[in-house]
Amino acid sequence: MVVPLDTTTILAQSLSSLTQWVKRSLVVVRNGWQGAGAGVIWRPGGIIVTNNHVIAGGKAWVTTADEQEYRAKVIAQAPEIDLAILKVEVENLPVAMIADSHGVKVGQIVLAIGHPWGQPAAVTAGIISGLGSVSTPGPRGSVEVIRTDAQLAPGNSGGPLVNVSGGVIGINTMVVGSDLGVAIPSHVVNNFVNEVIGNLVEVLV
Amino acid sequence: MTATQSSNNHILTEISNAMADAVEKASAATVLVDARRRFPASGIAYSADLILTADHVVERDDDINIVLPDGSEISASLAGRDSGSDLALLRLQQSGAAQAEVASQQARIGQLVLSLGRPNTNGIQASLGVVSAIAGPVRSWRGGLLEQYLRTDAIPYPGFSGGPLVNTSGQILGVNTSGLARGTSLTIPVPLAWQIADTLAKHGHVRRGYLGVRSQPVTISPGQQKELHREQTSGLLLVSVEDGSPAETSGLIVGDIIVAIAGQAVADPDELLTSLVGKVVGSPTPIEVLRGGKGLTLTVTIGERP
Repeated sequence: MVVPLDTTTILAQSLSSLTQWVKRSLVVVRNGWQGAGAGVIWRPGGIIVTNNHVIAGGKAWVTTADEQEYRAKVIAQAPEIDLAILKVEVENLPVAMIADSHGVKVGQIVLAIGHPWGQPAAVTAGIISGLGSVSTPGPRGSVEVIRTDAQLAPGNSGGPLVNVSGGVIGINTMVVGSDLGVAIPSHVVNNFVNEVIGNLVEVLV
Repeated sequence: MTATQSSNNHILTEISNAMADAVEKASAATVLVDARRRFPASGIAYSADLILTADHVVERDDDINIVLPDGSEISASLAGRDSGSDLALLRLQQSGAAQAEVASQQARIGQLVLSLGRPNTNGIQASLGVVSAIAGPVRSWRGGLLEQYLRTDAIPYPGFSGGPLVNTSGQILGVNTSGLARGTSLTIPVPLAWQIADTLAKHGHVRRGYLGVRSQPVTISPGQQKELHREQTSGLLLVSVEDGSPAETSGLIVGDIIVAIAGQAVADPDELLTSLVGKVVGSPTPIEVLRGGKGLTLTVTIGERP
C-alpha cells in the first residue's frame, strides 16, 4: 500500500472532524441530585437516549451542545438494559446519525464520547474488542453488547460509541467495576425506541 | 461533514476495516485452551495439530480441551512445556487447526499492534495498542531467561495469555503471557517462541546446558582484546569449578576468563545462559578463554541441566 507522507496528519484531522460532527448530538444529562451522564439526540422531536441509572431519581435536565439547558420528561425506562428515553420540547435539535450495529466487527476503530469525571465532551479512542451478550434480569433474559478497549469512566454513561463514519453504533453503559467497557448496540436501542414511540402514539391517539 | 473531511475520513475507514480484517485473519488461528480450573485461556495454531500456549495456563497434563474458531471441540495432550519461557505445546487428537501466519518483519517500537484472545465461546476478543518496548534478556520469575521480549500498551484482558500479538496484516509478532512478570503482560517474540515450540515438538522440553562453573564479569583490556582478536570489553572470570563437572573434565580452571562459546562472544552472565540453550547441549563445543594473558580454546562437552 502506498502511504502518503501526511497520512498521520490526515488521520488526526479526520478524527478531529469526526468528533466535532458527533458532539453536536451529544447532551449532558443531570438528575438534579448527583453526578452527570451523557445522552444522544436519537430521533427528531426531542427524543434523547441515555442510561437509566443516570436518571435514577426519575427527573432529568439536559444541556445541549449549544449550552442550552432544558427540563426533560422521562418517557420510558428499561432498567434491565440500563436505558431510558427522554423527551424535550424543542424543535430542530441536531439528531445523531444512527448506524446499523448488526454489521460491526471486532477490530474496527471506535470513539467513545461523553463527560468522563465531569470533563465535558471528552473523546477516547479504541477498537471493538469483543461482541457477545450478558444476562439480564427480567423477561429479556440477555442482551447483546459491544465491548471496547476505549477508556470509559463514570460520565461516559449514556454517551455514544461511534464508528469511523460518525455513526452511533451503541450507547456506553455499565462502566462500574470493570475495565471492559460495554455498549448496548444501536439496533437494541432502536428496538426499544420503536416500542416506546409506538406506545406513545397510541396514547396520544 | 464537508467534502474534504469525508475524503479524509476515507483513510480512517480503510484503516478501521484493515484492522477488522487483521483480527478476522488472525482469529482463524487463535483457539480457546481449557486446561486449568479458572476460566479458559488462549492458544495459537503452530501447525494443524499443535497448539502453542502459555505454560502457566496448563494446569493438567490430560483432559485438555481446545475449542477451534468454528466452535468444534478437540481433546489435546501435553506435547512439551518450558516453564522458563512460559510456553507449552499441546497436541490435538485430530488435526484441524488453521496454522498461524508468522510476520516476516520483526516488531518495531511504535508499530500498531493487536492483542487477540479467545477465552470464551462468544467469539474473538481484541485490543489495540503499540509496541512500547523491545527489551531483554530478562530473568523470568519462574527461573528461566528470556533473550528478548516485547511490551505493548494493548490491554491484556483476562484469558489473553497464550494468544497472539499481531500486526495490522494479522500476522503473528509474538505470544502474549502474563506469567513471566508479576502484574504485567509480556510478549515472547515470534522467532524465539517458534524456536522454543520447535524444540518442544521434538524433545518435549527445552534443553538447557550445564557447565558447572560460577563466574563474575571482569573487564577485558584493549591489550587483551588484541590478543583475543575480539572487541568485547568484558568476559566472565571463573571463581569456582565444580568437581566432576563438564567444565572440570574439559580442563577449565578457576581464574580462566570465558570470552566466547561456540564462536559467540560471552560478555556477561545472561549471555552465558543464552549461549547454553539448544543445540550445544550434549555436543563438544569450543570455549575461548583468556588464561594468563593468552587466548586458549578448549573443547567442552556441555551437559544438560536437570
